[in-house]
Amino acid sequence: MSATTAPPPAADPRRLPIADGTQVKRTVGRLFRRHRGSLGGVAALHTVAAVAGLAGPFLLGRFIDEVSGGTTLARVDTLALILVGAVVVQAVVTRYAQRLSMIFGERVFAELREEFMETVTRLPLSTVEKAGTGDLVARTTNDVNKLQHAVRFGVPRVLVCVVTIGLTLVASFLTDPLVALGLLVGVPIIWLATRWYLQRATPGYLRESAAYATLNGTITEAVEGARTTDVLWLGSRVRRRLRRDLSEAFAAEKYTLGLRLRLIPSLDTAVAVAPIAVVLWGAWLASQDLASVGTVATIALYAHQMGGPVFDLVFWLDELQVAAVALARVVGVGLVGPDRVATGEVPTSEEVHAHEVRYAYREGHDVLHGISVDLRPGERLAVVGPSGAGKSTLGRMLAGIHPPTGGSVTVGQVPLVDLPLEDLRGHVALVTQEHHVFVGSLAENLRLADTAASTDALWEALEAVDARAWTDALPGGLATEVGSGGHPLSPAQAQQVALARLVLLDPHTLVLDEATSLLDPRAARHLERSLNAVLTGRTVVAIAHRLHTAHDADRVAVVDDGRIAEIGPHDELVAAGGDYARLWHSWQHE
Amino acid sequence: MRPLPLPDLGNPPLTSASRLLTWQAWRQRDVLLKAMAVGIVSMLASAAAPLLLGGAIDSGLASGFGRELLIWCGWMLAAAAAIVVSGVFSHTWDVESWLRASFAFSGLVGDKASRAGHAITKRLPTGEVVAAVANDALRAGDMFAMAGRFTGGVVTYAVVAVYMLSQDLVLGLVVTIGIPVVAAILALLVRPLQARQRVHREATGRLTALGADTVSGLRILRGIGGEDVFAGRYAQQSQEVRRRGVRVAAVQSVLDGLQVLLPGLLVALVLWLGARAVVRGDLTSGQLVTFYGYAAFLAWPVQMATQMLQMTTNAVVSARKMLDVLRVTEATPQAATTAPEPPSGSDLADEASGLVLRPGRVVGLVCADPDVSAALATRLGRVDDDAEAGTPVTLGGVRLAELDKEMLRHRLVVAEATPHLFSGILGEELDARGRATEAELMAAVLVADAQDVLDSVPDGLAGELPEKGRSLSGGQRQRVALARALLTDPEILVLVEPTSAVDAHTEARIAERVAEARRGRTTLVVTASPLVLDHVDEVVLLSPAGTVVTSGTHGELLARPDDDGAAYRSVVGRSMAEEPHPSDDHDLEGAAR
Repeated sequence: MSATTAPPPAADPRRLPIADGTQVKRTVGRLFRRHRGSLGGVAALHTVAAVAGLAGPFLLGRFIDEVSGGTTLARVDTLALILVGAVVVQAVVTRYAQRLSMIFGERVFAELREEFMETVTRLPLSTVEKAGTGDLVARTTNDVNKLQHAVRFGVPRVLVCVVTIGLTLVASFLTDPLVALGLLVGVPIIWLATRWYLQRATPGYLRESAAYATLNGTITEAVEGARTTDVLWLGSRVRRRLRRDLSEAFAAEKYTLGLRLRLIPSLDTAVAVAPIAVVLWGAWLASQDLASVGTVATIALYAHQMGGPVFDLVFWLDELQVAAVALARVVGVGLVGPDRVATGEVPTSEEVHAHEVRYAYREGHDVLHGISVDLRPGERLAVVGPSGAGKSTLGRMLAGIHPPTGGSVTVGQVPLVDLPLEDLRGHVALVTQEHHVFVGSLAENLRLADTAASTDALWEALEAVDARAWTDALPGGLATEVGSGGHPLSPAQAQQVALARLVLLDPHTLVLDEATSLLDPRAARHLERSLNAVLTGRTVVAIAHRLHTAHDADRVAVVDDGRIAEIGPHDELVAAGGDYARLWHSWQHE
Repeated sequence: MRPLPLPDLGNPPLTSASRLLTWQAWRQRDVLLKAMAVGIVSMLASAAAPLLLGGAIDSGLASGFGRELLIWCGWMLAAAAAIVVSGVFSHTWDVESWLRASFAFSGLVGDKASRAGHAITKRLPTGEVVAAVANDALRAGDMFAMAGRFTGGVVTYAVVAVYMLSQDLVLGLVVTIGIPVVAAILALLVRPLQARQRVHREATGRLTALGADTVSGLRILRGIGGEDVFAGRYAQQSQEVRRRGVRVAAVQSVLDGLQVLLPGLLVALVLWLGARAVVRGDLTSGQLVTFYGYAAFLAWPVQMATQMLQMTTNAVVSARKMLDVLRVTEATPQAATTAPEPPSGSDLADEASGLVLRPGRVVGLVCADPDVSAALATRLGRVDDDAEAGTPVTLGGVRLAELDKEMLRHRLVVAEATPHLFSGILGEELDARGRATEAELMAAVLVADAQDVLDSVPDGLAGELPEKGRSLSGGQRQRVALARALLTDPEILVLVEPTSAVDAHTEARIAERVAEARRGRTTLVVTASPLVLDHVDEVVLLSPAGTVVTSGTHGELLARPDDDGAAYRSVVGRSMAEEPHPSDDHDLEGAAR
């Protein structure tokens, strides 16, 4: 771990990419094109509904004009029936339009997240190892959830608003183009205010959500570290930090409030001024006999009706902008290129050789300076050395996780990174401190390594790692749900599950990187048997920070500063009187 | 707007959710009252629009484009100006009201988390405490944000109702009764909708959890296999969520349709009755336009009332959840009356084991069962008064629970085996007391042999340490925690397994430097490592039952011929025999043999 933790300051390769504007647009365009049929249907239905919704003011205007010319109660009844008819049509069509658009939203969103997960589970091994899982988890949960609101409600809502506003304008001009000109008074105000606002809103709201994320992080830390906070008397520090986070959230809120305080009055003004302009302008036209009072009333009411959709549209555009940022992070995962291309060569043996291996996380800063080591089939090689010497990096090279920057690691003459991942796993496996138990049945957890494994094979693997006793006692046997929210497994049991997976995977070479060092000390002896069962008959590279592993290994490699300082059987190294010998003696207290 | 958070958190009543909410409302009564007043102005100004439009139309019909119409338009402009201006204030004070409430609640919950110690994790899952800030405080705030507009809506509804009833009794009754009836019918459909939404939300929650789980274990999936199975499983649940969403859509769209139909029919009824009245000559065209406008407008205050009801219900639920956190009692509260401070250089004594730490000695504590020695060290640090009531520990003869807490925490520090590292600037995180110079920081880093951490964290001491020190290896985290403990520089320092995760080279260096740095100051190190024990002044051997067996220097105990010597050797002499020892424990790499 240690060598890899020196993060290069520039162009951090441990960060996952984020898509740029063009790439996001391309994705959105592709999604829309794929669904243009449904999208067209949704738009058509909403158009019909919006047209029917325009009947009220129109009929009212007609009525006012007819009243001044003298009309009958029968005529009133007819107009009222037409209105009822329009309302019924609008209601029925709205029902189907809404249903269709929600189903559309569900389908597009489901596609988006499934494609994302498909991409994530295909990420190159080296990317997963380097980037860690924190950022990916955030993208899988936060970003995907942020998109949910926009895709399911935002896109249909924007569609409805645009259709409604457009049709209301069209209807106004059809009613009386001259009077309808008065409507346009509000347009420049809305246009300018919205443009001004949308240019600033996204960073503002992102700052807000970042501020709340920090606050939640601080609370999480305060709770998880509550005991340390108490024991080290850090309470006032935690409280200071909370105040700082709240102040930042306040500043962020104040900024976006400031933005809205310019947008809202502008929109309010536009929406309130439009009917007044229509009335004034229309009344003058009417006085010149260029319009009727009824049409003026109709268009004034249309102007009044447009207020709602205008506000709605601006705020949804805002949400869509924020969602675009989440989309950029989701799409970004797809930009990671493959880290290896299988050449199709087939290894001729099970011998693993490292030749002049170099590796640099940053160009020009080699962590490994040309390491050569030949693993003898079936041997146990212990790798020891101070923290930061490059032990873990070497382990990853030997397991084929990263392509080396110089030199090569081969199995049976074929470079490890030239093998397809599925084949590589059958040769070498890296075992780390991590022992994640997946949500699902115990059987599912084991079958990762061999999807076709029979129930008997699963039991045999559990037997081999000495886990039969507790698995037999599980309420549902192999079908018991484990992982978060399921039947709890102790760390030692989780580790045994991980080891049973290795038995099923059956690689000939294993690289152990401090594989058991996070374990509960009391479980160690029990696990020793489990691990021994897995190691028997395989070539093992054990990266160790404890010396007696070295004592029991066939050979010991002392790694210092990216080079192998000494290598050989324990006794020889002790006899040679080098660094290793000195350390061994102090350990022995001789 | 007053800058938030406010300096004083106050002392909230913990008796009930409604008490908590009213307490907060009283504390922010200034902004609430302002929001309500301006809410009334804003809603009344909006309500004026249909009335003025009707008046303008009548005047246009009667006298054409003239002075009267201009006056009506002048009134409309005045109302528009009132809407714009009051809108600004209304939004400002609504937001302020929301922020005041939700930040006050967040502050209270956070304050509790910072003081409760071990008790909070014992009582509640972390997720619930975080949700109290991330969800509940914000949700409770919604009610306060809505208060101004809600009040405005209620007042305006009443005013408009009175106006309409005075103009035309029948039409007035149709509108003022019709709208709440429509709202009530729509509310009936909300329940089945919410039920389906809940199912959909739960399915979404499972999907998110499944995604997070898959990605958390991605290194294993990519290293061992099973990606396709997991991607498939996710897709399956994703389709389940989609199906649930479609079921929501079925009800939701009916509700949407009814939201068009019922108010639409009401408007049609108003227009029909109104138009007949106009034909009869009982009503003017302008009044009809006004009634038409109000039939649409009054749905708005009713909608606000429904929202307010919903938000209040949510706020009460959220307040209950916050109360769960606020009611947690501290694990180690300050005693009501504290005992006088024992003089410096007092003995620290654990009655249950018989261990007494004399001033100025660096002592190692060894036990065959590492849990027993760790438990002893923990109670020396007074972590949980309830749990430790039966195993008294005294400083200078006074029980720890009776001492002033701040004084105790400064004089006595126990660094546990798995301490929590907080995110922040590395230099500040190391310096828990906030008083070390850079030279002192560097000295502590050197003692803990953590110089490599300075290279790992970009910008070294000035660099940012991530949450839980995640970017560091296990060994690095342990050494950072050790440096932090050393920098608290207490009179008595207890270190539990300070080197369990570091390599032997490093352990040897740390052992020597820590002993040197603490020489002459009371220090207890719980460990079984011979590399460390070799450097302490004295070693105490604890029986597996937890009582002091014997003590002496490491060399003496190793050489001692009796049973105690044998017991000691079996704990610390890990490499002396081929067979695993009963206590051959820390060395997990031994598993790789």
